[in-house]
Amino acid sequence: MNSLVAQYSRPAFRNEGFSEREQDEFSQITPPLSLRFAMPPIANPSSFLRAVTDDHSNPNCPIKLAHGTTTLAFRFQGGIIVATDSRASAGDWIASQTVKKVIEINNCLLGTMAGGAADCQYWLAYLGMQCRLHELRHKRRISVAAASKILSNLVYSYKGMGLSMGTMCAGVTPQEGPALYYIDSDGTRLAGNLFCVGSGQTFAYGVLDAEYHYDLSEEDALELGRRSILAATHRDAFSGGFINLYHVKEDGWVKHGFNDTNPIFWKTKLEKGEFSNVTSELV
Amino acid sequence: MPRILLNLIVHHLHLSSASKMENLLGLTGKDFTIVAASKAAMRGATILKASDDKTRSLNKNTLMAFSGEAGDTVHFAEFVQANIQLYSMRNDTELGPPAVASFVRGELARSLRSKKPYTVNLLLGGYDPITKKPHLFWLDYLASVAPLPYAAHGYAQYYCLSILDKHHHPDIELEQGLKILRMCTDELQRRLPIDFKGMLVKVIDKDGVREIDWDSSKAVKSA
Amino acid sequence: MARRYDSRTTIFSPEGRLYQVEYALEAISHAGTAIGILASDGIVLAAERKVTSKLLEQDTSAEKLYTLNDNMICAVAGMTADANILINYARQAAQRYLLTYNEDIPCEQLVRRLCDLKQGYTQHGGLRPFGVSFIYAGYDPQRQFQLYQSNPSGNYGGWKATSVGANNASAQSLLKQDYKEECNLREACGLAVKVLSKTMDSTKLSSEKIEFATVGKTKDGKIYHHLWGADEITVLLEEHGLAKKEDTEAG
Repeated sequence: MNSLVAQYSRPAFRNEGFSEREQDEFSQITPPLSLRFAMPPIANPSSFLRAVTDDHSNPNCPIKLAHGTTTLAFRFQGGIIVATDSRASAGDWIASQTVKKVIEINNCLLGTMAGGAADCQYWLAYLGMQCRLHELRHKRRISVAAASKILSNLVYSYKGMGLSMGTMCAGVTPQEGPALYYIDSDGTRLAGNLFCVGSGQTFAYGVLDAEYHYDLSEEDALELGRRSILAATHRDAFSGGFINLYHVKEDGWVKHGFNDTNPIFWKTKLEKGEFSNVTSELV
Repeated sequence: MPRILLNLIVHHLHLSSASKMENLLGLTGKDFTIVAASKAAMRGATILKASDDKTRSLNKNTLMAFSGEAGDTVHFAEFVQANIQLYSMRNDTELGPPAVASFVRGELARSLRSKKPYTVNLLLGGYDPITKKPHLFWLDYLASVAPLPYAAHGYAQYYCLSILDKHHHPDIELEQGLKILRMCTDELQRRLPIDFKGMLVKVIDKDGVREIDWDSSKAVKSA
Repeated sequence: MARRYDSRTTIFSPEGRLYQVEYALEAISHAGTAIGILASDGIVLAAERKVTSKLLEQDTSAEKLYTLNDNMICAVAGMTADANILINYARQAAQRYLLTYNEDIPCEQLVRRLCDLKQGYTQHGGLRPFGVSFIYAGYDPQRQFQLYQSNPSGNYGGWKATSVGANNASAQSLLKQDYKEECNLREACGLAVKVLSKTMDSTKLSSEKIEFATVGKTKDGKIYHHLWGADEITVLLEEHGLAKKEDTEAG
């Protein structure tokens, strides 16, 4: 039936509109698990990919993936705090200091990106599309559980083909309340109160765990999120740039700025006396 | 003509990933230095001992904590200890912590250029009775040395330095220092996948080196 | 008779003496006087330099006072050639310590290293002892300002005020008489020129006949040592009315 319609509604030009297959896919109730990307004609795509991208074992590898990151999100009494840095690095090279690592999926749902920058950007944009389609089909917003499941099923279908992602989905829906999920390219999907993802995760965990309580006030929660990213940008070479801070509440998320880490670091050091290992003395 | 053969000895130096599981922590305060070391002695998948002391007192007011290649660690520590004690006997005075650190670094650097180098990471905590100031030195197996207000080796570096960045101040009292240390050890207990059997904690101040009772039996609350 | 016991340093005489060491001490007692005085805020070393000829270049180098290390200086009495060997040895020992421990060698340790070497020449193999006595002035954080003296036998000791060289007995008794505990560096300098003026042959002193050096602490707590220039010595001499009149005496 659908293919019949498609046949008679051919576009005037060859590249205009969607292909039959694409239209077919859009009309499906559930999204297809794989978008049937062309794969290299070899037995083991992921080991091939590793061979050309692994900077560590082969510094001359032809493809340098954008990797290092710090992202965090935690649930608390007043909703969910989401915070990220903004550095994109490719090997030794800082590719950008102003990357948006929080994807606004809709006005109640946020996704964070860590791992391969392109993988994350592409698939979170794809997730956004699927969420909107879900919304149109069902006349209500998708739950965080369902959205995260779409992503986890999707990446799982590509397992072993070299995807590199560590993401979090945070949102508040009437049926779930505030909900937070961790999804990575291995196919892991976890619900939880607190996650840090990326090369700077341990540093963020250090600061966050030490002072985290579910009953944190909104102001304290925002500050703790900001301070945890700052900690990671200070110690992790692959994290830095700006602190991107969001607060997800029942009536949608609120953005709390995209602020340069540098002045924040010096303010923290000089006004609170923290970072006492940073001195101007030469020893 | 005889061929001249150049004998190039290439060292493949690296620290085994197991030694990253050995955690050393140190921090200084107003008039003391705290040094802590994890108590597990590990070989492969086995914990051989759960009350290992990875520290040695070098003299009355300096304590050295060590991690790294099995065998190297204790051997190097006791070699250094013997030499520092010999100095004390010969000269009827104790070397101050900075002098001890320079000596230890020198010995490590010398060993690094030998046939079989010591693969040892160190923290050196001390209190200088003359200047009445606490000292902490971070040394790695490639013989770098850095005087620091707080330092760590192993996975503790990844989890605890950010905590210390935030909560450490140079003029803290002992009680406050132990509180910050507790934040660090709690975080390690919470996040590390392998049980390191708690920490052995020692304090160095004007009265010398003493062990602090450190309870690690309490479960740490997780988010 | 004595020849059987003084031709080799390693042999005691029947009276239990080492003649070569005593001869070395004798040689030193003819050298120019050197004195050292410990004050509460520093140390002064002063030495008489024997002007043997008017043709001798005077201002090229100190011949009695030497820097051993950042924290230590010394005055020499005896054979300058022997002293040069020992001073070189001491400087190297101090640098080696600095390299190992990244801090200055404690004064007594440096003195002892030098004396261990000197002692060796009173015991082994057919060599003569060093014909030098030293007065050392230095500072270390552990024991603050310190004054030491050592002689060819390898003996050393710490002093509040001491002297070596010609007339050292009379210098010593003058120091004993006039030394005040807790005197400051200025007063110690005064005492030093006073003692020198009495033990030296000429009654009037001049900057080319003596050398002066001090070790002290600056206002911000840094240790300095300073070998005095001719004009500084002249000012000190004038202050104590010991300066020679402008009309020069024939040499």
